[in-house]
Amino acid sequence: MADRLAAWRRERVPLSAFEDVIREKTVPVHRHSYAYYLGGMTLFLFGIQVGTGALLLLYYRPSASEAYESVQFIMTRVPFGWLVRSIHAWSANLMVAAAAAHLFSVLFLHAYRQPREITWVSGMLLLALTLAFGFTGYLLPWNELAYFATRVGTDIMTAVPGVGEFVVRFTRGGPDVTGATLTRLFGMHVAILPMIATVLLGLHVWLVQAHGMSVPPKVEDSASRSGRRVSALPFVPHFILREAFGWTLALALLAALSAFFPWELGVKADPFAPAPAGIRPEWYFLWMFQGLKYVPAHVMSIEGEAMALAVIGLIAVAGLTVPFWATTERTRAMARWGGVAILIMMAVLTLLAYRGGAGD
Amino acid sequence: MTAVRIAPLVLAALAVVAQAAAQDRQAAEAAFKNSVHAAAGLECGSCHSGQRAGAYPAIPRGEIAVTCASCHSDAAYMHRFDPQVRVDQMSQYLTSAHGRALLKGETRAATCSDCHTAHAVMRVRDPRSPVAPRNVAKTCAQCHADAERMKLFGHDANVFTDWSSSVHAHALLSRGDTSAPTCSTCHGSHGATPPGVTEVANVCAQCHVREAQNFTAGPKKAIFDALGQAECLVCHGNHAIQPPSHTLIGITEGTVCATCHDASGKGVATIRNFRDSSDGLEAALRSAEAVVDRAEHAGMLVDSARLAVQEAHEQRVQSRVAIHTFTDQPFTEIVATGLEAARRAEQAGQSALEELQNRRRGLGIATLLIVGFLVTLWVKIRRLPVPPPLSDG
Repeated sequence: MADRLAAWRRERVPLSAFEDVIREKTVPVHRHSYAYYLGGMTLFLFGIQVGTGALLLLYYRPSASEAYESVQFIMTRVPFGWLVRSIHAWSANLMVAAAAAHLFSVLFLHAYRQPREITWVSGMLLLALTLAFGFTGYLLPWNELAYFATRVGTDIMTAVPGVGEFVVRFTRGGPDVTGATLTRLFGMHVAILPMIATVLLGLHVWLVQAHGMSVPPKVEDSASRSGRRVSALPFVPHFILREAFGWTLALALLAALSAFFPWELGVKADPFAPAPAGIRPEWYFLWMFQGLKYVPAHVMSIEGEAMALAVIGLIAVAGLTVPFWATTERTRAMARWGGVAILIMMAVLTLLAYRGGAGD
Repeated sequence: MTAVRIAPLVLAALAVVAQAAAQDRQAAEAAFKNSVHAAAGLECGSCHSGQRAGAYPAIPRGEIAVTCASCHSDAAYMHRFDPQVRVDQMSQYLTSAHGRALLKGETRAATCSDCHTAHAVMRVRDPRSPVAPRNVAKTCAQCHADAERMKLFGHDANVFTDWSSSVHAHALLSRGDTSAPTCSTCHGSHGATPPGVTEVANVCAQCHVREAQNFTAGPKKAIFDALGQAECLVCHGNHAIQPPSHTLIGITEGTVCATCHDASGKGVATIRNFRDSSDGLEAALRSAEAVVDRAEHAGMLVDSARLAVQEAHEQRVQSRVAIHTFTDQPFTEIVATGLEAARRAEQAGQSALEELQNRRRGLGIATLLIVGFLVTLWVKIRRLPVPPPLSDG
């Protein structure tokens, strides 16, 4: 019966080329193989975001007068609405963490090497999009914390010389954070960003498939010195079952977090109220927020914030172009240690922000 | 020779005086520019007369009120600017402690310009005005918090400090409730005068209507009147009025009832009932609020519980109003209604917390199922054949 059904399907939906690729696809096995699961984990969490986000869209209303109430309605009246919203919020945070872990593992294992330059660039852009998803989604419940954090977050952009004012005005839909900002960020969150993300994600996954999994240079060297071949796992079913194990684990973690630490809604935003104490952005922007506190007002007659943003911009450009300049063993080591330094800096600044340093 | 030596000194002194006068004039002009009078088209000469060498002499303090009244008491003239405007300020002022003192020749008594400023006069509804509701107390405090100045008139200089610590000041300054009483609300503005013993209750009753009605209908009114006690002030004080609290009631030290009553006196049973019932309602309300807060912070729906908490709050307020009857009823009945509302609130909060526990139990079962699936996956992975080494091709 199953064979007849498969034959029926093969005749009508021929997928033999795809099936051949999947059958032949293998994943190298070595002591850094764990890194191969991080991309899949990010993709899984992205899928969770799309699914839960679509469900939230059924009830969410993107206006200053209704947003908070609609999220309250989702959390209190809609069956399992509290669960869907909590999973969406927690999964967003785990996705940022997974994407960052994926990026640093690729950087440290030099998986960006030729011919995977475009894979790296598309991955970096996807990480930026993930952060943009986080930023645009943060304001949508229209609560006090999100409102003032968005105001502070968008204010930072004004320091960018020349285009800063325009970017802030464009993002806010006016001079200040208002209902127009909410509608605008909602549009970006559910239409513009997903559209770009779908294209980039398609390109990224296709390139990963086309080039296969990268083997770290040291593993390659050691295999060639010993004259042995690097072991490999068939993608189906060996690797995919292990991935399914990780995804199920992530699902269990999301369920537990949502049940024991449900994402709070907080107090409705009041644009006329003074900003409450302790306003800060989500944890993944904290390092930047904290770093800006240590920047002096002026550095060599240039405005301090603009200088800091220029430095962050330079780091981003250097990161985006890693495969094009880290082409020798020496420059690859530079990229790795640069990555370690940035990671330490981010960790220290984030820790300081949580401990309330620099007048916080 | 001496005249030659003194002349430069005299000229220098005159120059200094002239410079100071010029600076004063500039400051006055700058202040006047933003005033309601400038907006109405008035000029310096509208109030000042006798211009000499481009300068106007100051209006003597004793004549300021009369000068202001020449327009502000003229209904026909004032209606040109505002048909609703009042024109009784001068007649009110003359009945005030300030006005009466001024009439007696005490020029240190407050006159119009002391409160409204001389040149930067603004409408009362303008928040920048020194007589706007939020600024009135500070304006009065310029004189009434000045210990030396008040000593001359035998007045207490602590009134501003006392008022600042009151529930009224908190409502006005912290909560921004401009209907909350400030100095002029109780004492009047132009007719400012301290209310007498028999007038205090009428002053408080302007806002606390039901408390006053209960007090007047109750047994205490006749007793207080006979003793010449200033009703509300006896228990609540005058300026440093504290928020109502169940701890004010009782016959132990520090309670207001204990000022007159002791444990053996008449009415002790009622006082004890007031205190015990109020304590009970307070405790029930706090307990219900704590449960409802916990449920709400956990993301649960607590609409009905909040409504019941609100009702219990209202009953608490009603019970405090009912205390002014100084009888057990209707106080006891109101407290019982409040306790019932608090019980309903706590029950609704507990139900929400139970629902939360149910959710967690459900997720616990789901997690168990997930773990079961993980174990199955793990067993399947372990049973898969070992893959061959990667080929060169």
